[in-house]
Amino acid sequence: MTEISKTATGLKGLMCPDTESTEVDIHADGVEMIKSLCYFCHANCGVLAYVKDGDVIKIEGDPNYSSQGGLCCRGTSALLHVNHPARINHALKRVGEKGEGKWEQIPYDQAIQEVADKLNQIKAESGAEAVASAGGTTRTDDWARRRFLNQFGTPNGFHNALLCWIPTFMAETCVAGWSPFETDLGGAKSLILWGMNPGASTLGGMHGYTDLQKAGLKIIMVDPRYSETASKADLWLPLRPGSDAALALAMLNAIIYGGMADYDFIGQWCDGYDELMEHIAEYTPEWAAPITWLTPEQIRQAAAMYAMNKPGCIQWGCTWDQIGRASTTGSHAIALLRAVTGNLDVPGGDGMPGPALNFLTDEELELNECLPEEQKAKQISRYKLTSWPGYQIISDTARRTWGKTLPTEWFCEAHGPSVFKAILTGDPYQVRALICNATNPVNSYGDAKMTLAAIKAVEFLVVVDYWMTPTALFADYVFPAAGALERPTIVTHYGATDSLMGGRRAIQPKYDRHTDMVFWRKLGLACGQDPANWPWETEEEAYYEVLKGIGLPVSNYNEFVDNVRMYYPPLHQSKFESNGGFWTPSGKVELNSTILRQLGFPGMPTYIGTIENPIDTPELLDEYPLVLTTGGGFMPYHHSEHFQMQGIRYLYPDPYFSINPEKAEELGIEYGDWCWIETRRGRIKMRANVEPEVAPEVIFAPRGWWFPERDGSADLNNPFGCLESNVNVLTSVDEEHCDPMGGSWANRGLLCKVYKCTELDHEYKAEDTQFSIPGSVAEPGIHVKPSEQPLAREPIPFEMPQYPDGEVPEGYDWVWQNNTLYQKGTNYKLDASGWLINPRNKAYYDAYTGWRYDANDECLVDDETGKRYTMDREEIKYMGAYRLYPGATAPFEVPEQLVWKEEGYATLPGRDELIYDANSGWLIDPETNVYHDAYYGWAYDPNANCLIDMETGKRYTMEYQEIAE
Amino acid sequence: MTRYVMVIDQRRCIGCHSCTVACRTWNKLPLDIIYNPVVTEGAQGTWPNVHKSWTPLLCMHCENPECVPCCPSGASQQDEDGTVWVDPKKCLSCKVCVNACPYGMRDASHLENRMHRFVRKCTFCRDKRQLDPDAQPYCVLTCHQKARVFGDLDDPNSEVSKLIGSVKTERLFEEFGTEPQIYYIPELGGKA
Repeated sequence: MTEISKTATGLKGLMCPDTESTEVDIHADGVEMIKSLCYFCHANCGVLAYVKDGDVIKIEGDPNYSSQGGLCCRGTSALLHVNHPARINHALKRVGEKGEGKWEQIPYDQAIQEVADKLNQIKAESGAEAVASAGGTTRTDDWARRRFLNQFGTPNGFHNALLCWIPTFMAETCVAGWSPFETDLGGAKSLILWGMNPGASTLGGMHGYTDLQKAGLKIIMVDPRYSETASKADLWLPLRPGSDAALALAMLNAIIYGGMADYDFIGQWCDGYDELMEHIAEYTPEWAAPITWLTPEQIRQAAAMYAMNKPGCIQWGCTWDQIGRASTTGSHAIALLRAVTGNLDVPGGDGMPGPALNFLTDEELELNECLPEEQKAKQISRYKLTSWPGYQIISDTARRTWGKTLPTEWFCEAHGPSVFKAILTGDPYQVRALICNATNPVNSYGDAKMTLAAIKAVEFLVVVDYWMTPTALFADYVFPAAGALERPTIVTHYGATDSLMGGRRAIQPKYDRHTDMVFWRKLGLACGQDPANWPWETEEEAYYEVLKGIGLPVSNYNEFVDNVRMYYPPLHQSKFESNGGFWTPSGKVELNSTILRQLGFPGMPTYIGTIENPIDTPELLDEYPLVLTTGGGFMPYHHSEHFQMQGIRYLYPDPYFSINPEKAEELGIEYGDWCWIETRRGRIKMRANVEPEVAPEVIFAPRGWWFPERDGSADLNNPFGCLESNVNVLTSVDEEHCDPMGGSWANRGLLCKVYKCTELDHEYKAEDTQFSIPGSVAEPGIHVKPSEQPLAREPIPFEMPQYPDGEVPEGYDWVWQNNTLYQKGTNYKLDASGWLINPRNKAYYDAYTGWRYDANDECLVDDETGKRYTMDREEIKYMGAYRLYPGATAPFEVPEQLVWKEEGYATLPGRDELIYDANSGWLIDPETNVYHDAYYGWAYDPNANCLIDMETGKRYTMEYQEIAE
Repeated sequence: MTRYVMVIDQRRCIGCHSCTVACRTWNKLPLDIIYNPVVTEGAQGTWPNVHKSWTPLLCMHCENPECVPCCPSGASQQDEDGTVWVDPKKCLSCKVCVNACPYGMRDASHLENRMHRFVRKCTFCRDKRQLDPDAQPYCVLTCHQKARVFGDLDDPNSEVSKLIGSVKTERLFEEFGTEPQIYYIPELGGKA
């Protein structure tokens, strides 16, 4: 609408609406402020949403939240996201061929029922394990998914967890009993940021680092790229991509042999130091120098900076879990770095929160008891540390030491790439259905060509997503997901910590969008699962159930957010001292891990190189001379998300890889040139960012790229260009390339070559998209069944020690490390005194009845019924709140004017309703709790401080003098 | 008197472009207009001896702006508090001011109908401050690193006054004599 206006300025005429103030008035009538949380990455910054008439009109950062009002590009774009025209708003059912892009819009509940019928049919025909589910990063309530999968009976849920923290968490837990991931930076003097770039990923954290650096914190940055964060660090270690394990081992060597270890801590709390010292002897900084491209002096300097500036922290970085077969070796060595320097769980060091003991953990919401043992054995994963075999041992240990355990979501999952291979090969069995929730595996899982083939091949594909992704394109049903602002959020850090934070939903989901918990609940009910197992209709109800146990003065979840928002338990550090040990089977920090040995892995980190590197595979150097690192995150995107949103895409419209100017000149590449990056497994196209942020031999290629602006159905070999610039075409998921412990596949430290796109070789061709198992660009097709491929390391045979006294007593499990029996079911420790000890509250329990010992009253308490028993296990009778001592004699001195009743109490003759309390010397009416004096039975009036004879109504002083009216 | 200025702490900026996006989102800018670009300088040097810094730019809200007196329609103007802004109702989109600005910080969107086109620039979120006098500009609020500080230079207790009084600051192209009012704390290898 335009209008000619004749204003004071005379002629100037044309006015259009957008010349008016663009400002939204948040103080206007009817605008409500709702405390919400950002939901576009794991940082979950605080958001204030201003809502009017059921719609969000504006958002801003919450200055009172830990993020201090900051919001990055992604967070600010929340409104673009909610209202984006490309969002999926209704349940879609495929009507054309797979990938054709022809959909019928159907009611949500109808789609749910149709999917449930098909899943039940597959379960009846092929077993529940033929149904698998892929997840993305936390944009979901994953306990709900596991609740569904467990009741359905399939062990094959998975995420990208193996590239992100989980193998590290498990290795650290094997060493010290929990992951020391909560850095106490306020008290720290040094900080290693290793393989992470908070300056482009978690900006709230970066703000904290910057402030602390100003106060004197020393920051050591380990990154092959001169990243945003490296540019601010005190010491930058530009190592060869993928050589992290060698660096960690060499730093460990430098600290141990440089006399910089914390010998008090080691002597008191660590096991196996001598073995470690011997084991680590060969990994000198001189040994590591050619592997890491660092000088021995740099390695010693970094080791000294960390070990001598105590307490210090090592912040976990994603890289550790993305180095393929060398992944867990590196994170295991880093776990030992913290241990030998005594930085575990101490003030200023790496905190070990343990599971939340006062609110429900994610694990308690998963219904893991519903999954039968025989189904657990069918989980598709050869990597024991992060699947049922390893999880079971670690989880049992956690229950015995903390009293609670880790969730199975994330920490006990199928191996994603192996499931995709199972779809293609039927090895170990045919997976027929896949439910992708909040993930686009083609872009986020390794070996994208193989993954795309599996997505096309799977018989029944269901996708829950915000957008039409390359994966959703091939789905049979697509369900619309409710996103940030449309859902409440609870941050429990994967159920691995004891704090929680919350945000409210600003608006109800728009259109026919639903949250993932509602999706799984509806699907579960439609599959015939017990409604009693799905008691909560909304997240708010479920979240309130979670935090009820804390005992906060709130009566629903929204009240919690409004009044509390961030719950942190009182800071408890050096818990190992009050606990009497660490949370490992031996109670010590196990420098030579018994759990890892029991699983067939080395108990101490033993060097293994990346799958392709100049030292171990020099034969590849002629063809592939450059070292490639992939998977780095960068603003403004998160994983494979946000490419749709023009409002931020303009910042970074095309994929760029980084190449050193020296190498670029050698290859004739200039800034902005489209180039091919090729590994043994395939090639992709990206534009060159010629910049000395990487070494001349290093190529840095960012993750996630696809092109949602294209027509997906136009080229089904490469829908939405999902392979064209996708670094996962270059990565490897072959069995022998994966970490033999945790299963991480190889994203970093690969060998590649780079060459310019020429006029003749500019287009992405069909042969560029052909998949192969094992991954190879030369031989498309399936050559070896995955199960026939060797693992990177053969298991080391482990002989389980035998219980020394013959048979393990019935009802108990025996832990060989500390030669102790634990009660089955409760996991209480059988003490030498014959009592059971509960690890959570350290209370003693009777081994026969399970009743708790109450030291105050010298009695046993059955916590289930509340009944109390004598030490001879006879029920204690009560009169009101007062204990009775049935029998002829009293256990205490009875004043002479009183009589002893057989029922077990003393009273005045004729006043049977009163009970004598030996502690106070008063007679008490157990019904009214009124005190009576022990001579006359007169009631005490606390207001007037006098005695009243209830029969006569006369009043007496405390000295029995009658008070005149 | 009030004199609004901004201090930009380059020791803290890590080039996340959050300010650019927040500005564009809440000021509803067309895609070809950016009020506050962040310029990456680097990595410079020879690997591994390299350096990188970021320079967030915006209108300098000069004391002696070149862009105000040159405006033939009186659309380009300056408030008493120093805010330089353009009244879209008066702007003829003749772009004299666009050429006059030595910092290149104003332009008209070519995505708009030519008849509706007007010159746009950063106004220190003038619209927002008119609704709420204590409001901070969007680029300041959204910054995780707190690299941007906005305030009144004439108030000796304001954070900007304290920063400018205590830390060495620089202004861009002071030699033009426009008295720019954006103060930079350069990185110079120092840690924030």
